[in-house]
Amino acid sequence: MTDSARFDDLIHPATRLSIVALLAAADWADFAFVRDQLGLSDSALSKQLATLEEAGYIAIERPLSERRRRVHARLTPLGRARFAGHVAALRGIIASSTSEA
Amino acid sequence: MPWWYWWGLATCWIGLGVSSDVADPWVTVAATVTFGAVHSAVSQRLLAGRQRTSDVKVRADVMGGRAPALVFGCLVGLVAVTIAAAFAASADGARHPATLASVLVAASILLGGPRLMAAIRTDAIRRAQAG
Repeated sequence: MTDSARFDDLIHPATRLSIVALLAAADWADFAFVRDQLGLSDSALSKQLATLEEAGYIAIERPLSERRRRVHARLTPLGRARFAGHVAALRGIIASSTSEA
Repeated sequence: MPWWYWWGLATCWIGLGVSSDVADPWVTVAATVTFGAVHSAVSQRLLAGRQRTSDVKVRADVMGGRAPALVFGCLVGLVAVTIAAAFAASADGARHPATLASVLVAASILLGGPRLMAAIRTDAIRRAQAG
């Protein structure tokens, strides 16, 4: 494992991992887009986003210029670093298990 | 890439082919320059993979620089194919060789364009998974 590889318990649960992985590929994503892509309910996604926001991993924005009321989520630099570290840690675990086999 | 990009490209290609056959050469030159300028402006935005939608804005590094290079290379190749096909049709006695050649190439744009983007997408996913 590299120095940046760090297993992150907050990101690891499947739903949050899916959310963070989706946001990692984007500058920002609309709430409805994330919900539809991951097949989550509004309340389930809101709960997970609140947890990630509280940890400082994502930022929630409400653009004023849009006609419709929208909510955008984006990964913060901290969240991006933690996600990269978590992916590296997972890769390390998988690599060690395959080398032992 | 949105569907309208490929249909627009194919339609303009045929338009330029028809123009070469029936219009004044200066009209064709002007149409070609206009097409080049408009296509450059539109494709620059689309090929970067960061066209803003109301749903998501994809990161530039996810797309990489391969897509613009590949699509640009294909366009240059299609220009060469159009010219070669038009000369071949002309040698065969066709009345509208440029139109025939452009229709042939327009069909290949419609059939091959989405497949090219699918290949680029698959390649991007494979590179992302490889880290």
